[in-house]
Amino acid sequence: MFVLDDLFVNPFLSLVDILQTMALDELYDTSEIRDQIKENQLLYEIGDRPADEYERRKQELEAQLRTAEQIRDQMRDRMEIKN
Amino acid sequence: MSESHLYTYGIIDDNESLALNVDGVAGATRAYTVSYRSLSAVVSDIETTDPERTDAAVEAHNTVLQAVLEHDATRAVVPMSFGMAFKNARTLKGVLRGARRALRSTLTEIAGTVELGVKVLAPGDDTAVDTAAVRSDVTARLSALSVGETENDCFTDRLIINKSYLVEHDTRDAFDAAIDEIDAAHDDLTVRYTGPWPPYNFVDIHIGAEQAQQGGR
Repeated sequence: MFVLDDLFVNPFLSLVDILQTMALDELYDTSEIRDQIKENQLLYEIGDRPADEYERRKQELEAQLRTAEQIRDQMRDRMEIKN
Repeated sequence: MSESHLYTYGIIDDNESLALNVDGVAGATRAYTVSYRSLSAVVSDIETTDPERTDAAVEAHNTVLQAVLEHDATRAVVPMSFGMAFKNARTLKGVLRGARRALRSTLTEIAGTVELGVKVLAPGDDTAVDTAAVRSDVTARLSALSVGETENDCFTDRLIINKSYLVEHDTRDAFDAAIDEIDAAHDDLTVRYTGPWPPYNFVDIHIGAEQAQQGGR
């Protein structure tokens, strides 16, 4: 159990910290964003997504990825985030 | 003037030296070979041993490997992962010497083959698809014509199959025909067929990362 394990491993972490980390981890899940980038590319390549929508979505997802990576890096400095 | 280092794309048999005018990583316009005994590394000049990994740089890495394949479609290429830059030819040859046995063995294993990618996608609407039947049919047709296959990540719900196949040159036409048959048999689905690629998914050699970073030792 993630929360209990973490509390046993590090009793100095508060439950609020752990829950916050879990929430941020899910919110800034870079693998999910990377999958969406690959999906966007694939749908464009097979002609299911027009060029303008592909470009708009690509820029949106790349910005999300940069933000997520920055926040994850900052969070790592505070406490370990499970990958 | 900055010192020039060597960015490495892949390793080939040293049957002939190779020089290609092709756009490579970090603005390179020419790829050539650096040889050690029976191995040659396909390289281009670069000003850093720590190239930035951008989409364009990764694409340039692939473009050079594609150019090597196009130059001689029967050539075996052991692709390097992105970012392998060495301080100089001496360092690179040292790495080739250290990994010679693994590289020779891999070149022998992949000789006469190419990697081909096959993706099968469900329709974008709510049309029901018997995914198990599709997987079974496609796998049965293609496995028989390949000497290796790997399952890749299904990164979208629409992907029913995402596989890479290692196919011998002699079987390539039959594999192409099987793809056409699959496309015709499942006209409600989208078949995405790509390649030939260097055998990225069938080579697992990790060489020289530390030496590349440290350089010149």
